[in-house]
Amino acid sequence: MADPQSSTFQGDLQDQKVAGYQSVLGVTHTQIATLPGFCTQSGHQFDQVDVAYQTLGALSPARDNAILVCHGLSGTAHVAGTDPQTGRPGWWDYHVGPGKAIDTDKFFVIGTNTLGGCNGTTGPSSIDPRTGKPYGMSFPPITVRDMATAQAKLMDHLGIEKLFAVVGASMGGMQALTWATEMPERVRVCVPIATCTAHNAMQIAFNEIGRRAIITDPNWNSGNYSENSLPAHGLAVARMVGHVTYLSEVAMAKKFGRRRQPIAEDPDQFSVESYLHHQGEAFVKRFDPNSYLYLTRAIDAFDLFQNAAPEEVLRRVHSRFLVVSFSSDWLYPPVQSRELVRLLKRSGIAATYINLEADYGHDSFLIHNPPFANVLKHFLAGEYAPNHEPRLAHLAPA
Amino acid sequence: MNPGVYETVAQWIPEKSRVLDLGTGDGTFLERLIQTRHVTGEGVEKDAELVGRCVQRGLVVHQGDIAEGLDQHADGTFDFVLLLGTFQELIQPAEIIHEAFRVGRQVVIAFDNFAHYRVRLQILIKGRTPITPSLPAQWYRTRNLHFLSVADFESFCQESGIRETRRAFFNIRGAIHFFPNLRAEAAVSLLQADSQQTLRKPA
Repeated sequence: MADPQSSTFQGDLQDQKVAGYQSVLGVTHTQIATLPGFCTQSGHQFDQVDVAYQTLGALSPARDNAILVCHGLSGTAHVAGTDPQTGRPGWWDYHVGPGKAIDTDKFFVIGTNTLGGCNGTTGPSSIDPRTGKPYGMSFPPITVRDMATAQAKLMDHLGIEKLFAVVGASMGGMQALTWATEMPERVRVCVPIATCTAHNAMQIAFNEIGRRAIITDPNWNSGNYSENSLPAHGLAVARMVGHVTYLSEVAMAKKFGRRRQPIAEDPDQFSVESYLHHQGEAFVKRFDPNSYLYLTRAIDAFDLFQNAAPEEVLRRVHSRFLVVSFSSDWLYPPVQSRELVRLLKRSGIAATYINLEADYGHDSFLIHNPPFANVLKHFLAGEYAPNHEPRLAHLAPA
Repeated sequence: MNPGVYETVAQWIPEKSRVLDLGTGDGTFLERLIQTRHVTGEGVEKDAELVGRCVQRGLVVHQGDIAEGLDQHADGTFDFVLLLGTFQELIQPAEIIHEAFRVGRQVVIAFDNFAHYRVRLQILIKGRTPITPSLPAQWYRTRNLHFLSVADFESFCQESGIRETRRAFFNIRGAIHFFPNLRAEAAVSLLQADSQQTLRKPA
């Protein structure tokens, strides 16, 4: 792929400052839409919801080139381009832009911040209109389906009846799967990346460690903390655990090894310790602890086939799929993606699957990753080209 | 594989069939079937880079080994399951054929004939593992696990309860019609079974 960004760029753009990296999109803006509310699965009626979003590229006259990009646990609506406030590139700038995997010359790309998040979309840190105070823990429990519902309200607002594609990794992949099963007529192509149909015990366990760190922080105060007394320690520990699960043994060995990074308080400090401390501290500045609790609860509870046979749920799907996993991802291991693909295929759904060799662990989708970018780019291009329609007709069991 | 094999298989497959191509490589042949025979089809390929090239062609492809590629599908999903040139690399060929007849109604298998006279001569005269245009790799490099002949495959099919409804044989110059076990470098067979249940495991 012709990519002016050299492969010397290491790491992801979301949590690291990648030296010399400049978004070719220039400054891009995020806006907030106040949308009609809806009733959550837990029965709470939102009178209205705010959804932060960003659009890149132009909507085609036929309105058939919209791609919804769904972020992972800690992402934002700011998918690509330079953030005017922070001066930093969007979390998926490597893969979204002119000529990139998600080509903004060709597609109308929409990034949104998830419901329950803390970067512009209604979440626990938003003001409860009934009390005039932040919701905190009185925010209703939300589900991945509620997140997709909020995204759908935004699509209504933007006048997009049918998305060309929903692309999401990790938690975003769960949202993509939810779109394909709950709003099948609104999605042509579904691209779940490094995700699963339901968390296993280990995935829930790591999230619970994070939650426990937050709620046992004395500053958490049942969720009623102020900006001056955040449960910063708890959230930082949660992020540290998270970060370990997003990487791989190989990636950490390469990146840190047993190198030391001495500081005055700890002359024996390892580089990896310093890195995790830094990640924890940086995260506290940009993420709401209660959001962390709500979002991790939602993804732990997510079960695409809850109380139903997979074939029943998948019978309604119209989309064609690209499923991607990464060999070194031990948080969302390839076996979960393979099982998803098996269920899709056994339901007669056309699905392409690729397990990419990448040693960066779960975060392999966030980094400069040309093999991943190539597959995504060619898949989207092939599916969008109208002349591919007849040769790729839907496969159905006899 | 011999180009005649692909030519023949393309003729055997009726228009608009549903095809699963196991070991599809970079998808060249599957794409050809889609374009010339208007089949709907998908491929299974182990190598990620080749899978990437299939995606580039706009093919539906699954990255995985052949057993897994078959396991992904419900019974009777395909009219044809193709195993062109990968058959002799399978650890458990009988099991794979059994599974192929679950997923597809007919199975096409192409393989290199290990009883070709050049192979026989090399073993007989030189006493060395043969290296021929159709078996180009040294014994320590070949991906082939099983070395079978046209005659071996015939008896394998008989013992398994599989009917070879069409056969074709090739050497480097073209189609072979007489003494294929001696003269053919490559063989391709269209296989049918009365049902998956009637398949037997050869003794």
